[in-house]
Amino acid sequence: MVKKTYPFSAIVGQEEMKKALLLNIVMPSLGGVLIQGEKGTAKSTTVRAAAELLPAMRAVAGCACRCDPAAPEFFCDDCRRKAAAGARMEEESVPMRVVELPVSATEDRVVGTLDIEAAIRHGRKEFEAGILAEANRSILYVDEINLLDDHIVDILLDSAAMGVNTVEREGISYAHPARFVLVGTMNPEEGDIRPQLLDRFALSVTVTGEREAKDRIEVVKRRIAYEQDAEDFAASYEEQQEALRERIERARSLLKSVAVADRILEKAAHISLALGVDGHRADITLIKAAMANAAFSGRTEVAKEDMKAVSRLVLAHRLRRRPFEEGEVDWSAVDDVLA
Amino acid sequence: MKYPRYPFAAVVGQEQAKKALLLALVNPRMGGLLISGKRGTAKSVLVRAAAPFTPTGSLVELPLGATDDMVFGSLDVDAALRDGERRLRHGLLHRAAHTLLYMDEVNLLREEVLKSVLESASAGMFSLERDGVSAVEEISCIPVGTMDPAEGVLSPALLDSFGMFAAMDDVEETEQRAEIARRVLAFERAPEAFCRAYALQETELQQKAARAREMLPAVEVSHAILHLAAQYAARALCVGNRAEIYLVEAARALAALAGRIYVMPQDIEEAALFVLAHRMSRKKEQCEESSRRQREPQEPQAESQEESEDEANDAAEDERPDDNLTRDAMGGESKEQEADTGEAQEEAAQTDEERTSPADGDSGSEDRDETHSIETVMARLSLLRKAVCGRKGKSGRRAIVQLDVPAGRPWRTSLPRSGRRIDLAFAATLRAAAPYQRQRHGDQAIVIRAEDLRVWIRARRAAANILFLVDASGSMGAKERMKMVKGAVLALLREAYQKRDRVGLIAFRRTSAETLLPMTRSVELAEKELRSLPTGGKTPLAEGLAAALKMMDELARKEGAETVLVLVTDGRTNVPAAGKAKEEALRAAEEIARRDAHCIVLDTEKNFPKVGLAPEIAQRMHAGYATLERLCAEGVLEAVRRFRALGNGSA
Repeated sequence: MVKKTYPFSAIVGQEEMKKALLLNIVMPSLGGVLIQGEKGTAKSTTVRAAAELLPAMRAVAGCACRCDPAAPEFFCDDCRRKAAAGARMEEESVPMRVVELPVSATEDRVVGTLDIEAAIRHGRKEFEAGILAEANRSILYVDEINLLDDHIVDILLDSAAMGVNTVEREGISYAHPARFVLVGTMNPEEGDIRPQLLDRFALSVTVTGEREAKDRIEVVKRRIAYEQDAEDFAASYEEQQEALRERIERARSLLKSVAVADRILEKAAHISLALGVDGHRADITLIKAAMANAAFSGRTEVAKEDMKAVSRLVLAHRLRRRPFEEGEVDWSAVDDVLA
Repeated sequence: MKYPRYPFAAVVGQEQAKKALLLALVNPRMGGLLISGKRGTAKSVLVRAAAPFTPTGSLVELPLGATDDMVFGSLDVDAALRDGERRLRHGLLHRAAHTLLYMDEVNLLREEVLKSVLESASAGMFSLERDGVSAVEEISCIPVGTMDPAEGVLSPALLDSFGMFAAMDDVEETEQRAEIARRVLAFERAPEAFCRAYALQETELQQKAARAREMLPAVEVSHAILHLAAQYAARALCVGNRAEIYLVEAARALAALAGRIYVMPQDIEEAALFVLAHRMSRKKEQCEESSRRQREPQEPQAESQEESEDEANDAAEDERPDDNLTRDAMGGESKEQEADTGEAQEEAAQTDEERTSPADGDSGSEDRDETHSIETVMARLSLLRKAVCGRKGKSGRRAIVQLDVPAGRPWRTSLPRSGRRIDLAFAATLRAAAPYQRQRHGDQAIVIRAEDLRVWIRARRAAANILFLVDASGSMGAKERMKMVKGAVLALLREAYQKRDRVGLIAFRRTSAETLLPMTRSVELAEKELRSLPTGGKTPLAEGLAAALKMMDELARKEGAETVLVLVTDGRTNVPAAGKAKEEALRAAEEIARRDAHCIVLDTEKNFPKVGLAPEIAQRMHAGYATLERLCAEGVLEAVRRFRALGNGSA
C-alpha cells in the first residue's frame, strides 16, 4: 500500500515556498517556481504535498497528453487527427498532478520515442509518450534541477518556451502540447543552475530551516505523528486541506475577472527599471503573480499590496549578479516604488 | 501544430530587428539574419511572429537537440521495408524550403551543425552520404538565429556566415514598458480576440512583404551604388567579399520594400547597419580604441586621419586588390579633415578631384555628404559592435566537446566496437536492417541481424578542473593576492555555468597547505568557504605544491577531465632553511610537470630586478609564466584564459 502523502497544511512555516506553489496552482500559466535551500528543509515534501491540492480538469479520454477538449488549438497530433476525422471526443475528469523528472532520466524517456516493441513485432512506427507528454497541464517537478544534464536542460527550455514538444527522432515526427508548471528544487551548494533555465522560472524562493526552537519542536512532533500513523495524521488535517482546496477553486474562477489598473502596470515598469533587470519578463511576471495573489485573497482588483507580497518571489533571481560582487540584495528600491 | 501566435505588429518598438526580419523575408539571397539581445526582449516572439509573412506562411524550427539525421535527412525506413529501396527521408533543411529556418539560442547549438547549416543555406544545396543513402539536396531556406550574448558568443567565421545582424534591447521608457506588459496580458487572456485586433496591420505587412518579393528581381543597382557598397565594406575593413554582396542585396530589398526599382545611396547606408556590424574587423575596433585613448575627444578629424592611415596599411597587407578603393576612401577623409580645419585649401581641392573621378561624377558637395554619412554609419556600427561581442571580458571560445563518453547527448551513430558496452541506436539499426527485409524471413515483422547493429556515439561539453594554489604567507601583498584570487574564483564559477568547469583553491602558509575550497561548481559554496581568508606566516611552497599534486592525482583518477593548475605567488621563501626548502619546491614542481595537466604560474613579485623563485618554478613545472603588475581579479582571469587557449591549440 502506498503511504498517505504528508498533508500540505501540516507543513510548519515555509510560508514563502507555500505561497509560491499556491500562486502557480491558481495560475498555471504563471511559469513555475525554483526552490533553493539546504538539505532537510522540506522542499520535496512540500512539492509532493501540493499534489493533494490540485484541482480536477476536463481532458480528452485516453489521451496521453490529457488534451483540453475546450482548446482544440492545443491538441496533440493524435487528438488533432481524431478531431479532423470527425470522431467524437470522449471527455473525462482527471486531477492535475505532479509528474517527476528524475535527474538520471534519459532523453528518450523525457521527450518520448519510437515504440520499439511495436516496431519489431509489427513493423509499425508508433510514438511512445514521454515525461513531457505526461506533464502537460500538470506540474513537472525536477528535484536537484541544477544537476540535470545539459542536453536535457536544452529540451526543457525548448518545450517550456514553446509549450510544445516536437519529436523528430528515430524516424518519427510527432508534436504534442507540453504546457507544464515547472517546479525545481536545488541545493545551491551542489552547483549552479544555467542562467537561461533560471530565467524561465517565474518565481524563486530560498528556504532555510525554521530558526525558532518552538517551531523546530513542532516540526519534529508532527513528523513523528505522521510516521506513526500516516492515515490518522492526514485525516486530522483533512478539514484544513479541504478549506485550502476550496480557496484555490474560488481563486481560479475569480482570476478571469481580476483587473489590472494602468498605475500598477507603470509601477511594475518602474521597479524593473530601478533594479536594472534584463528584458521584460520581470514586469510581466510581477503583474501576473500579483493577479494570482489578488485572486487568492478573494479580490478582483490588483493592489500595491499584491505586488509587494510577490515582489521578492518574482525578482530575487532576476537581479544581476556581477562577477566581483557579493552580499545581500538591497530591496529598498522596490519598496520605495511600492510605498 | 498551429497555436495562436503573438502578432508581429503588436511587438512594441524593436524597429531595427523588425526591419531586418522583413529584409530577410524579402530577399533570400542575403544569408539570413542573426538577432542578438538580452534575455526577455521578445527575440523569439518576434521571429515566430514573422511566420505569416513568409511565402509558405509558416517557419521551421531547428531545436538545440537536433541530431544530424533530423537536420539533413536519412534513410526512409518505410520505403526500405515496403520496397527494399534506399530512399531519402528529407530533413528539416529540406522542409524549410522558401521559408525561415529558425534557430533559437543559436550560440548554444553545436558548432559543426550550425556551420554546415549555414554553409548549405548559402550554397543552396548540400550532399548527403549516410545510412547507405547518397543524395544531393537542393534547399532554399533563410537561416535566422537568436542569441543572448551573455551565454557565449559565436566565432567570427560563424558570425560572418550570417548575412545580417540586428540587436534587440530592453525598452527603457516606463510607458512603453507598461504597454508591453498590458499587451502580453491581453494576449494571454484572450489570444484570438487580441490577434483579431491586429489582423488588419498584419495583412498590410504581409502584402507589403509579398509585393516587395515580387518587385525584387526588377530592382537594379547602378555602378555608383556598387562602388559605394565596396567603399563601405573597405572602410569597415571587412575580410572577403561577402560584405559587399550582402550590402547590395540588402539595399535591393530595402528599395523593393520602399516600392522602388532602383537603389539609392540611403539604402546602402541603412543596409550597412545590418550587414557590417558583425563583420567589422577587430583590428578596426582596436585602432579606434587606441586612437581614442591617445587623443582628446575634441579632435575627431585627427582621429579619422589616424584610422585611415592604419586602414591603408592594413589593406596593403591583407587585401591588395582593394588597395585602390581603400586609398580612395582615405583620400575622401583627409579631404574632409583638411577642409574642416581650414588648412591647405588647395590640396583639399586637389584630393577632391582625384576622389570624384571614379565615383561616377558626383558633385563635390554631395560627395562630402556621402563621406560624412559613412563616418556616421561607422560610429553607429562600433556601438552595435558591443552587442555582437557581449559583455566585456567574455571569451569568444566555446566549450570543447568531449567525444565518446558514456553519458551525454547522442551525437551520431557508428558500428559497434568490440569490448564496449552496446549503447543501441535503435532507429539507425532499423535503418540498416530495413533494405534487406524482403529477403529475410522470420516470425517477427522485422529481422535484425548482428551486422545491422548501430550504437550511439555520445558527446558532452568538456569541463575542466581549475585549481588555484595561492601563497598566503606573510610576504608582501598576501592579503591582496588572496582577495584577487577569490574574485577570480567567483568570476570563473559564474562564467563556468556553460562550460561546467569546476574551481578549487589551496592556500599555503605557516607550515602547511590548506584546501580552502574543494573542487566545486557552486558559487554559493565558494562564497561561503572563502568568506575569511587567513594570511601570514612562512612560505611552505613545497608543501603547497605537494598538496596540489595530491589533489590533481585524485581528480585524474576520479574524473579524467582536463586539469588546470594556477600557482599564484611572489616566489619569495622566508622559511629559515631557505636552501633546502627551495630544493624541495623545485623537485615538487618537476613532479607536477610529469602529470598530464596544464600549469600556469602567475608571478606577483614587485621587486626589480626579480629575486623570487617563480620563474624557475614555472620552468621546472613546464608551466606558462606571466607577471601580474597590477593585482586584480581581471588580470588573473585574463592570464588563465590566455594560457588555456594556447594549451588547447584548437582555440
